[in-house]
Amino acid sequence: MNGFMRNMLAMIELEMRRLRHDRTELYTRAIQPILWIAVFGPIMGSVRAIPTGGIPYTDYITPGALIQSTTFVSIFYGLTIVWERESGILKKLLTSPASRYSIVVGRAMASGVRAIFQALIVIPVALLIGVKFTPNIIHFILALMIIFISSGGFAATSILIASFMKTRERFMGIGQALTMPLFFTSNALYPIAIMPWIMQCIAHFNPMSYIVDAVRSLMITGDLTSLPIDLAAILAFDAVMFIIASASFKRIIE
Amino acid sequence: MSARGLVKVYEGKVKALDGVNLNVESGKVFALLGPNGAGKTTLMRILTTQIKPTSGEAYIFGFNVTRDSAKVRRLISYVPQEMSVWTDISGYENLLIYAKIYGIPPSERDKLIRDALENMGLSEFANNLVRTYSGGMIRRLECACALLTKPKILFLDEPTIGLDPSARKAVWERLMAFKKEYDATIFFNTHYMDEADLYSDEIAIINRGRMVTSGTPESLKRSVGGEIISIEVEDQSLNPKALEMIRGLSGVNDLILGENEINIVVQDAEHSLPKIIESLRANNILVRKASITKPNLDDVFLRYAGVRLEAASGRISEVRQVRSMIRRG
Repeated sequence: MNGFMRNMLAMIELEMRRLRHDRTELYTRAIQPILWIAVFGPIMGSVRAIPTGGIPYTDYITPGALIQSTTFVSIFYGLTIVWERESGILKKLLTSPASRYSIVVGRAMASGVRAIFQALIVIPVALLIGVKFTPNIIHFILALMIIFISSGGFAATSILIASFMKTRERFMGIGQALTMPLFFTSNALYPIAIMPWIMQCIAHFNPMSYIVDAVRSLMITGDLTSLPIDLAAILAFDAVMFIIASASFKRIIE
Repeated sequence: MSARGLVKVYEGKVKALDGVNLNVESGKVFALLGPNGAGKTTLMRILTTQIKPTSGEAYIFGFNVTRDSAKVRRLISYVPQEMSVWTDISGYENLLIYAKIYGIPPSERDKLIRDALENMGLSEFANNLVRTYSGGMIRRLECACALLTKPKILFLDEPTIGLDPSARKAVWERLMAFKKEYDATIFFNTHYMDEADLYSDEIAIINRGRMVTSGTPESLKRSVGGEIISIEVEDQSLNPKALEMIRGLSGVNDLILGENEINIVVQDAEHSLPKIIESLRANNILVRKASITKPNLDDVFLRYAGVRLEAASGRISEVRQVRSMIRRG
């Protein structure tokens, strides 16, 4: 366990050092969520077509737009693994004392670092636009932790995809094909209750719904009744993805 | 390090290794030579615990590479053929991350990293992004990563591929200095004949997943059929008595007579030459010129692997391309 934590921290540190040298990706990836909050939110909000439980529509979709962007960051994190496979880095890591499981989980959790910094760029912009966050620092920290942890699950999903799609081009394709459906079949832009029946079923199996709900209740509504269920779902998602990704990791290296 | 009957079959079809036996003494430099697709990299990946053999066993300092892989990983370092450093952080940071993965205590970290950079001649570039390094510097940084943990065995897969001659020399000089200081074992794959010849104590030749032959560079070259001493004599008839005498010397395999010239095939030219010259002198034959022709490792390679090494050279430029592509990415 000691070595496990050590590897994970080393991977997280690696990611932070990378970001220190080059933050371009964070800025470019921030454009999309900011457009959702600054343009889509106010315009859709003026129609008042979507029941949001009394909160302004822009505020309602802010967590969704935020999670969408951090999830995209995590899903495309698999590209790093594909790159490391093409280079010799993965081979070298395999000959280090780090266990395979700790390489997978460590790499996956390192993507959480990117996700957090992504959130820290989007949130101030949302504040400027006028989104009202619950003025509670503990809620805020908890929300960031949820973003961090859930990013690990999505990054593990992306490692899993990387183990099947061994080239960058293929990976890009499947990454695109996965991210938008995840977004639209979640409660990011509208409540699950108003979805067609079949989409409701999908939304209940979509981990993004639980993440958005958790962050929304912490940052916007302050109503924490569903938080335990959300947390359980997120942790289960992480655990399952870590196990499957570790198991299929062998495929990447052979 | 030893291996018995290693077999590796990929996806039930491709037989990369077909019963490889191996023995490497501790503290030696061991070179593995072979043409494209011979199984060199597969063998190295098994020995470094990355992949499991289909059958057979291998041991490193008594630890089984499959069953005790965690213990083996503590003793070894590995430099893969492909580039294996992060280009978007500095050289120092690369070593720092590896130091942390290997659990080097914080109090020793900085000194060990600075030593490794110093040893590889990278101190003044320590804080530059690896992206700005030249190919030779990247290779030296990779070696620095591998030497950081002071491994007992260093595995190098084509350590100087795609480098210019001076960069190759620089890498090797620093590797040999490390080996000398820490009495480490070096196991490397290469297709540069001169490199195997210059730096290794023992060479094994692998072809189509099988070990074809092994031995010291000298003994391998001799096994091709001996060395040739050519002697040019003064313009006078060579007397048969002298030729008989030379033929009778120990270590002489054959004698070919030309006009004013004798070509003598011997086991070991350096040792036979004085004796031959003595015999000629005893028979009053004046020697004008003497030269030694030795078979090179390319001849050895041709004989045992069945192809010239140039056949594999297409692959060098390919790997160089891959390396530069990865750097850009």
